[in-house]
Amino acid sequence: MLSRRRLVTFAAVLGLLVGGFALASCGGDDGDAAATDTTTTSESTTTETTTTETTTTETTTTETTPPPAGPTEIRIVVVNGAPKGGIVRENVKKGDRVVLIVRSDVADHVHLHGYDIKRDVAPGQPARLPFKATIPGRFEVELEDRGVPIADISVSA
Amino acid sequence: MIVGHGIGVVRDLPIPAAYFFVGAAVVLAVSFVLLLYLWRRPVLEAHADGRELPAWLSRLVLSRAVRIVLGAFSVFLLGLTLATALFGTTVELLNFAPTFVYVIFWLGIPLLSILFGNVWSVLSPWRSLADAAVWAIERGEREARPVLEWTGRMGRYPAAAALFAFVALELAHPRPDYPRTLGIAIALYTYWALAGMAVYGRDPWTRYGEGFAVAFALLARIAPFAVRGGAVVVRWPFTGLGGADRMRGTLFFVAVLLGSTSFDGFSRSSTWQDLLGNLRAELAGSSQRTVDLATTFLNLGGLAFFVAAILATYLAAVAAAEKLGRIERSLVPDFVLPLVPIASAYLVAHYFTLFLIQGQFIITLISDPFARGWDLFGTADFAPNLAIVSPETVWYVQVAALVVGHVAGLAIAHDRAVAVFQGRRTALEAQLPMLGLMVLYTLGGMWLLTRG
Repeated sequence: MLSRRRLVTFAAVLGLLVGGFALASCGGDDGDAAATDTTTTSESTTTETTTTETTTTETTTTETTPPPAGPTEIRIVVVNGAPKGGIVRENVKKGDRVVLIVRSDVADHVHLHGYDIKRDVAPGQPARLPFKATIPGRFEVELEDRGVPIADISVSA
Repeated sequence: MIVGHGIGVVRDLPIPAAYFFVGAAVVLAVSFVLLLYLWRRPVLEAHADGRELPAWLSRLVLSRAVRIVLGAFSVFLLGLTLATALFGTTVELLNFAPTFVYVIFWLGIPLLSILFGNVWSVLSPWRSLADAAVWAIERGEREARPVLEWTGRMGRYPAAAALFAFVALELAHPRPDYPRTLGIAIALYTYWALAGMAVYGRDPWTRYGEGFAVAFALLARIAPFAVRGGAVVVRWPFTGLGGADRMRGTLFFVAVLLGSTSFDGFSRSSTWQDLLGNLRAELAGSSQRTVDLATTFLNLGGLAFFVAAILATYLAAVAAAEKLGRIERSLVPDFVLPLVPIASAYLVAHYFTLFLIQGQFIITLISDPFARGWDLFGTADFAPNLAIVSPETVWYVQVAALVVGHVAGLAIAHDRAVAVFQGRRTALEAQLPMLGLMVLYTLGGMWLLTRG
């Protein structure tokens, strides 16, 4: 038989490995979630306080809420052909109505993959991409001509 | 375009922590139970020959007519892909070539190989073209002889180099699905395949130089079907992976396969995307060419790092096994094949959705491959169902694939260990490094799937 001491040592090493992976993955998730939350709140408060309220109620409450308020707004600001503050990451629920609002200081096309919606954008002419989140998955929003990803929208079931 | 990936409009949601923990627990429990209760003598190689299928079926499957029909069809598809890539629309998703190459070919053929055996031996357009050329030469009463003799000194390194070139295009190039780029790549690869066969002969080049043929042949060793002694046999899955593979370069080849798939997963995570984003922000004032070049180099570095990490961890585990098992010779060739099921599990886990969702687009594209408003088969208006699989199904398939691949890899490594190491106790102890390596790869693969 296998010597017990070695087996125990080995099991301990494996345990540590799993624990390490687990910690790494949890830590990453929390960090991401927190980061997204802060950006949403700060951005919304600077723009429209009313939307912030409706957005939060819609995402936090369950489906029993009576008539759904306005769509979830996701705002992206492009400076110098790159998304301000890095790639915008947002989570929405399947069935939500969402509108992407992209302001840009360069002219390009905004393309939401999967839902395949494309709108022109130019300085002073923000692009609005409204859609109903019917397909679950992760979807990239990019500046088509430059091939630059500016947002990453997760639609969870 | 999706940076770091050939094509794809819907990406997977990261797997929730619960799936990771359940998967990890199953992997650990199964590993220890297997290690203590598995067989004590090698059994896989003895079963690799399987049982012959009825003679008429073998004759039909291996017939010249089937080869000619499938070969001609495949050469036609190669021609169509090359023509659409070079002359069709430059809108990636409306062009036949990108979806055909990155989804139907690169994901579909591995799947067919795992299920049905080495189908590429009759489906390869390059092999078919070479066969036709040899037939034509010999009809002219001349001898079709390779220019150089294949000495085997290069091992599978030419194939590994070819595979690396392909995955570098797929994962490091800034616009891998741009049709013209793809067209040039297809032309270059066609030259590589045909010139290699002309110089070294069809069989050696298919076995050691043509990257796709080598990849599909390796994956086909998992399949419950094989050709043995001119007959089609049915056998237990995975039995084809018993024994050692002493051909040089095999380890490097498998490392490219495994490393590229894991880098593909990592390159789509927010960590890597933000890194690329920062790089682009740094280079905001520079030309598009500079930005593209920098992106390519960063991606190439990432890809090379993942391949190197697979090589390093494997070599370390083998060195530990040699020490524990008190074996003087190198065991590097002995434990390469157990990595094949893990590589195929990675393929399934990472590309399952891409295949199911993006694969549907081929139905539309085949009716109008050049995007000129044609409707050859009446399917031009087919609307792909992008919500065909729920995220839960995807997570379940991903974790299940990795666990199955892990168990298979472990069993194959065990089969080899009991053949290589003397004495039951030594065999058990010397297996621990390989077990640790596989747990590392499986949990690593699962962890990559949890990354958002």
